[in-house]
Amino acid sequence: MSADTATRPTAVLGRPPGRWQRANKATLAMLGVGVALFLGFGIAAPNFLTFNNLSNLATQVAITLIVAVAMTFVISTGQIDLSVGSILAFTATCAAEMLQAGWDSSVVIVVALLAGLFWGAVNGWLSAYQKIPPFIVTLATMSVVRGLAQLWTKGFSVPIDARLFVAKLGDASFLGLSALAWIALATVAVGAVLLSKLPFGSYVNGIGSQEESVRRAGVNTARIKMITLMLTGVAAGIAGLLTAARLGSGSANSGQGFELTVIAAVVLGGTNLFGGRGTVLGTVIGALITGVIANGLNLLGVSPFLTPIVTGLVLLAAIWLNLRGRAMADLFTHLTGRS
Amino acid sequence: MGESALVSLRGITKSFGAVRSLRGVDLTLAPGEVLGLVGDNGAGKSTLMKVLAGAVQHDSGQISIDGRDVRFTSPADARRERVGIVYQDLALCDTLDVASNLFLGREPRRGPFIDRATMHARAAETLSELHVRVKSTYQEIGELSGGQRQAVAIARAVSFRPRVLILDEPTAALAVAEVRQVLKMIRDVAAQGVGVILITHRLQDLFEVCDRITVMYEGRSVEDAPISDLDIERLVAMITRSGATNGGPGTEEVA
Repeated sequence: MSADTATRPTAVLGRPPGRWQRANKATLAMLGVGVALFLGFGIAAPNFLTFNNLSNLATQVAITLIVAVAMTFVISTGQIDLSVGSILAFTATCAAEMLQAGWDSSVVIVVALLAGLFWGAVNGWLSAYQKIPPFIVTLATMSVVRGLAQLWTKGFSVPIDARLFVAKLGDASFLGLSALAWIALATVAVGAVLLSKLPFGSYVNGIGSQEESVRRAGVNTARIKMITLMLTGVAAGIAGLLTAARLGSGSANSGQGFELTVIAAVVLGGTNLFGGRGTVLGTVIGALITGVIANGLNLLGVSPFLTPIVTGLVLLAAIWLNLRGRAMADLFTHLTGRS
Repeated sequence: MGESALVSLRGITKSFGAVRSLRGVDLTLAPGEVLGLVGDNGAGKSTLMKVLAGAVQHDSGQISIDGRDVRFTSPADARRERVGIVYQDLALCDTLDVASNLFLGREPRRGPFIDRATMHARAAETLSELHVRVKSTYQEIGELSGGQRQAVAIARAVSFRPRVLILDEPTAALAVAEVRQVLKMIRDVAAQGVGVILITHRLQDLFEVCDRITVMYEGRSVEDAPISDLDIERLVAMITRSGATNGGPGTEEVA
């Protein structure tokens, strides 16, 4: 930056600044927290940093991560989706019921994803085109969609035959990682490209910042907002299918409180809850932090009831950082003399 | 100035329900000319400019551009005739960088991906041409000062290669040095042959950049005078319609 004063004052730099300047400061802070947690648990629990446990951790966070990647888009546009846990339960029971009725696994997978997409489209149409706040829309569908699943199964859990492809998917592994972990990795890759490389990603963040500006630039903002909610719908559909596959049954009561875990992961990663600033990499870090806390405390053999308490406290600390991350980054820059 | 006019508006009227917002406005603009459009609040300046930008449809009267009669039914129509407007709220996104804002909705692409290298290079070129002072095209809009934001918004409008550029209060709430920069930018744009219409309440700005002033009063265009014939007292009198009534352009008496 010292060259700046030497050049003509009117020349505008078109080359990218350093990584430090471009990085989302709140995400950097959470990366630090994540590394600290890994090191801390690594020292406290000797079997924490083994490949087996880390592979296990990847499987544990996979389902949350898949939906959290999609939720990053929704939150970046300044919206929220509270219905993902209910859509998860709906597709899980839907898949189990269809498998029990003798449908082929391939058909069931397609139908489950379409069911997720359908609920996402309902959420999206009501909030983007009918202008009902997404908080209200998804609060309502959260109740309706789970209610439908409960009505359908009368509250019973529906078993899945372990010989079926869908059931095998839950236990399959490849190169030491579970199928779930691979699907999550693929979702992250797609999400990262979509958010940071395509115009769509720019519009998503732009809408979260000043929707009217994006609309005046000739972009159909309602459609983009609807698509983001359809993304969480499909992601919740995948999550429901994988949950059913993993548990070997579909239950209308699965995924309760799931939406909060997902939103926590996104916010922990430094995505601004008010929109305009989303990062998929941050969401990966956020999901890992929530997973690491549960996994590490479990290995340490402490009471499992401690997990939600610690997770909640870390979330609180993260939001505090999220709001002050910029100020702290500025301070750090000032102290280290970088700019 | 009939045949040399870039834009000419004749007898434009517009009513919103019972409110007659425009009651017959005449206005002309030549290429490369900076026209100051002044008048008290509610005189109809903004409505008139929205008509010219296609955001509002007029009831009667005639708009012609380059001598051709046109009628705009949407902002896209106006953009096609290369009429650009920068509204007071600028229409920028705070969390996107300067280049993304300049190219919002028309990003250069390589396949499905944004071609960031090209986008930033072209943004840097556009901004340098207009002498806009920002450190880098990678800066977020939210980090810029009010003057820089205004400059980026104008640069964005200019990059559409307009023949007519309408600026609505571009210097309101800017620091003194920033006002200088924006005014210089207006002169640069006009020097490229663009006809600029400047709406402002800062009368001293008019004397710095305008060639001519059109005054509106209660929905009518009431005065049209070269800036060289005016001084600030006379201009104030023309706007408030105190004393200077019927003192047409060229009359030297001071109100």
